Amino acid sequence: MATRNRTSIFRKYRDALNSVRVPSSLSPSTSSSGGGGGGPVIELASTSLLNPNRKYSPLSTEDPGNSSKGALTVGLPPAWVDVSEEISSNVQRARMKMVELAKAHAKALMPSFGDGKEDQRMIEGLTQEITGLIRKSEKKLQRLAAAGPTEDSNIRKNVQHSLATDLQNLSMELRKKQSTYLQRLRQQKEGQDGVDLEMNLNGGRSIIDDDNLDDMVFNEHQMAKMKRSEAFTVEREREIQQVVESVNELAQIMKDLSVLVIDQGTIVDRIDYNIQNAATTVEEGLKQLQKAERTQKRGGMVMCATVLVIMCFIMLVLLVLKTIVF
Amino acid sequence: MVLVSAARDYVNRMLQDISGMKVLILDSQTVSIVSVVYSQSELLQKEVFLVELVDSISKSKESMSHLKAVYFLRPTLENIQHLRRQLANPRFGESHLFFSNMLKDTQIHILADSDEQEVVQQVQEYYADFVAIDPYHFTLNIPSNHIYMLPAVVDPPGLQQFCDRIVDGISTVFLALKRRPVIRYQRTSDIAKRIAQETSKLMYQQESGLFDFRRTEISPLLLIVDRRDDPVTPLLNQWTYQAMVHELIGIHDNKVDLSSTGKLPKDQQEVVLSSEQDAFFKANMYENFGDIGMSIKRMVDDFQQVAKSNQNIQTIEDMAKFVDSYPEYRKMHGNVSKHVTLVTEMSKIVGERRLMLVSEREQDLACNGGQVAAFEAVTNLLNNESVSDIDRLHLVMLYALRYEKESPVQLMQLFNKLASQSPKYKPGLVQFLLKQAGVDKRTGDLYGNRDLLNIARNMARGLKNCSKSMADSSSSCDAVVIPQPQDVVIFIVGGTTYEESRSVALQNASNSGTRFILGGSVVLNSKRFLKDLEEAQRIAKSSTNVV
Repeated sequence: MATRNRTSIFRKYRDALNSVRVPSSLSPSTSSSGGGGGGPVIELASTSLLNPNRKYSPLSTEDPGNSSKGALTVGLPPAWVDVSEEISSNVQRARMKMVELAKAHAKALMPSFGDGKEDQRMIEGLTQEITGLIRKSEKKLQRLAAAGPTEDSNIRKNVQHSLATDLQNLSMELRKKQSTYLQRLRQQKEGQDGVDLEMNLNGGRSIIDDDNLDDMVFNEHQMAKMKRSEAFTVEREREIQQVVESVNELAQIMKDLSVLVIDQGTIVDRIDYNIQNAATTVEEGLKQLQKAERTQKRGGMVMCATVLVIMCFIMLVLLVLKTIVF
Repeated sequence: MVLVSAARDYVNRMLQDISGMKVLILDSQTVSIVSVVYSQSELLQKEVFLVELVDSISKSKESMSHLKAVYFLRPTLENIQHLRRQLANPRFGESHLFFSNMLKDTQIHILADSDEQEVVQQVQEYYADFVAIDPYHFTLNIPSNHIYMLPAVVDPPGLQQFCDRIVDGISTVFLALKRRPVIRYQRTSDIAKRIAQETSKLMYQQESGLFDFRRTEISPLLLIVDRRDDPVTPLLNQWTYQAMVHELIGIHDNKVDLSSTGKLPKDQQEVVLSSEQDAFFKANMYENFGDIGMSIKRMVDDFQQVAKSNQNIQTIEDMAKFVDSYPEYRKMHGNVSKHVTLVTEMSKIVGERRLMLVSEREQDLACNGGQVAAFEAVTNLLNNESVSDIDRLHLVMLYALRYEKESPVQLMQLFNKLASQSPKYKPGLVQFLLKQAGVDKRTGDLYGNRDLLNIARNMARGLKNCSKSMADSSSSCDAVVIPQPQDVVIFIVGGTTYEESRSVALQNASNSGTRFILGGSVVLNSKRFLKDLEEAQRIAKSSTNVV
């Protein structure tokens, strides 16, 4: 597709016109081209943590003293940008941990001679960390919301939407990984347990068949087997309990997030609808403000105060009259 | 995909090279252009956290220099003035200016003059000056569409503005396709001729460098036709999904406004009907009403099954599965309720207005049947109480367009009957229509070969009514058969209809080697067509009074 760049012509005109204009500043540093001129450049230290595609770092700012042109003052972003950056760095960290978790899952599922307890602990730890990160981010996300139909609140709302989508995707990924891991784990365990149960049943049948003499021996055998299978069941239940807890937590988070996420393809995903809405809310906000102003002006307090002052004056006049007459 | 993907590419390129938080500033026309191809969530992914209109943004006083401003505007006088004011008191850190059409040097000068703070980083022309509502269908949403029916002397500046907008739109379509076309126009239409000549001047003389693309074997073809050559199509009732929704309810920029149907929750009062985002709509937009009913029933059954399985949650695994699939479930639910609401509403209207009956007569009038039978049928329907005024008007118009010459007496009778029955009917409207688009004004046999594509093909093959309009060749009328072009862009001055875009889409799907693209000044339904007629009639009357 064809495009045409008119920047060079524009710059040519601009420079020509600027040189004709009386230079109003003597300082060498200019705020031209957005690049770091002479003044100190303030950048966020946490840039390295951020996703390279997402740069919330502010533009290079300069000392207020330097900007002699006046209108373009300090360009530090408002405080809530810090919150949004924290959240996005959390998302980034959680993503890295997910990669580690995937590796740990794969390792745990591989047949090994060891107990596998260490792998389990690592998996648990990682899962909890990720869930914790998501939960923290979600709490912070609620803080981003602001009251009032200003432009700033629109931006905050949109930033909220975008981060909510990220968080929701992250939590869905985590749950999918968890559920596949759990499934495969169950398959494996069931394989073992199935054999055990079979043996149990056989043992049971053999008890019925045999005489009481053999009871004692078989009972012991059977008891040992039962104890082992009990231990397995307890162990499995504990694991399942943990996964269920994290599933519940994530479900809760998903419920909260789904309110914030925009459904794709619906009317709220349309740019013109959002502009219209913003316009009407701003108008309505303006009307509310005007109404509030009016009621305040007309307000009881003002009336009372004026009435009282007038009364005071009248009383004063009456008092003076009284003293004069009498 | 061509038009939609071109527009999307332009928007992508605007946003991708600029890092950091951005605000996108549009004007009232570019809002439509961007909204039909780009969604809010995609903007959020590109870190655009605020979208504003250029005329409203100047009211706010907040300074937000941590944001970078991306302007995408049409290069009109008002927009340049708005920009001037905003550049003089910049609220944002950087400004990147993108224009949807060619800038004049004076405009660049004005902008450079006001950019004292030097906030502007780039000035580019990204040629997306058309609203790509479907892959092969674009519109220009021109508000004063009726002006094409009026003679030039009535409102010369208005007409010039109208033609300029069309020339701008068409030229950007070709710039987006990177081709320069051979231009043909309908000989009997003055406005088509004027637009063709101005487009040719732009592409071959004024900006010939810009349009000088790599020449392929066969140039594409631009056909400019006049709506009045086929006034029947906008007046007919439609029975395929997209066309029907537009006819009965109205689609604007792929949005349908259902607020008049009442008792709907607030978030369902407006819905989106876009073939790009809605797979069900894409599969069914050209199907007729009966088949739509079947498809919707199937969709509802599928959905009910999913809903039932979701209710049957017994184990933890079921719960986990439910939470996993919840977003998709919600989307499906929204989609199903949207289509069910639309079809229910349309069925209601069909029932109320007896559209089955009316449409049968309309089709007879348009296609077959003799004059006497037609007259009787129309008279019967005029006498029928349950037929609405607007449908009666349609019928009389269709009858008049077909049997204009055959029996003037009976035609007069129908006019009188119509005037007596419909109090809101503006007298003389049908006659005005005949004056605009009567038999004498039309080319070809409208009723024998009422297929837009056939007409287009005939014109492309250089048959009798050809008039070449290329600056570099003599204007003799050739009878040479020109080889079949690969790309044909048809522009209908006065507006397209969704029925025509359907034929174009079906033709393109059949892979015949030629790709058609359709565009118009607006997208018509019968309501809009009548509105344009009434407005033109009113102006014509008042201007003759003045003169």
